[in-house]
Amino acid sequence: MSITDQVLAALLVYGLPVLFGVILVCSVGIPFPISLMLVAAGSFVEQGEMKLWQVIAVASVAAILGDQIAYGLSRWGGRRVINRLSRKLGVEEKIKQAEALTKRWGGTGIFFSRWLVTALGPWVNVASGMAVYPWRRFVLWDVFGEVLWVVVYVGIGYVFSNRVQAIGEILGNFTWVMVGLITTAILGWQVVRYVRMNEQAGVRFRFSVARRSRSVRGADVGIKPGVKRSGTPGTSSQRS
Amino acid sequence: MKKFSLQQWLVVLAFVLVVSFTGVFAIRTVRRAIYWHYHQDEPIRPWMSLGYVAHSYSVPPWILYQALGLPPKVGGPDRRPIREIAREQHRSVNEVIAILQDAIIHARPPYPPPGPLPHPEREPSQGRSP
Repeated sequence: MSITDQVLAALLVYGLPVLFGVILVCSVGIPFPISLMLVAAGSFVEQGEMKLWQVIAVASVAAILGDQIAYGLSRWGGRRVINRLSRKLGVEEKIKQAEALTKRWGGTGIFFSRWLVTALGPWVNVASGMAVYPWRRFVLWDVFGEVLWVVVYVGIGYVFSNRVQAIGEILGNFTWVMVGLITTAILGWQVVRYVRMNEQAGVRFRFSVARRSRSVRGADVGIKPGVKRSGTPGTSSQRS
Repeated sequence: MKKFSLQQWLVVLAFVLVVSFTGVFAIRTVRRAIYWHYHQDEPIRPWMSLGYVAHSYSVPPWILYQALGLPPKVGGPDRRPIREIAREQHRSVNEVIAILQDAIIHARPPYPPPGPLPHPEREPSQGRSP
């Protein structure tokens, strides 16, 4: 029997304690079929075997608590390692830049990694802790995101209560599609930036070469009006 | 245009890989969605309870209990998964699933619909062999 079958069977028999334990462990970073479990819990609610408010309360508290544990361990344990390594490698400035970026965009990342891109959730917890993202803001985004996640997935299980296995499979794949789309957008933006940077660098390079050659040959040498020049800005040869 | 450096080429390679990865999972998601749209019944798994199987296949639960020779559950929920029932009955999980599938087939058209829950004083059947 697969791990998924075992977890779902345990949920069926023991109910809320299993829901709490598995979500807590998964939020800290150990991979489990957690989305499928929430969908199954929604189905059991619809069949009258579990109570809706209990499922939402227990799952939300477990997820938030697990996130706080991961954040705390990374902030107070991982921070020391980062400091030591950055000093050794001489990348303290880069680390500070990364921290500033996390502080600026961290809230959005925390919120969306709770319920839309759930596969990234544990990583975002660790990154937030290591970057010393303000704890109160972390808790705020975390609570919003996790409660939304629990409500959405339990709701899906409630609505499609007779198709738990099917919905679980689709949601499992969909999460990775979302991860892929976000990473594609970030890398795509980076590639476009490189192309633009290189275009500008190429233009500057050719412009400086042309100026140097003109100064060597003299301003009146070889350049006649109406004659196409190679290697100067604004000509078609630059973009080849 | 200035040529890409090695680091920039690596980012381009990562971009291509991520696009491929996203494409594969997008296709899988769509294929699964289409599959489940046309296949109403999901396979019976060892974690499922008899109540869930009955709910999923839209058949009365008592026919599944009857097929396995169990007294029909009235009142409190029966949360035993199929693997637990198989262990209690000294049967393999696959054997229990086959019995359930057989019972489900006989409770659906073209067979006549199952009637109401039999009288509780009646002896439960001894179970249908797969």
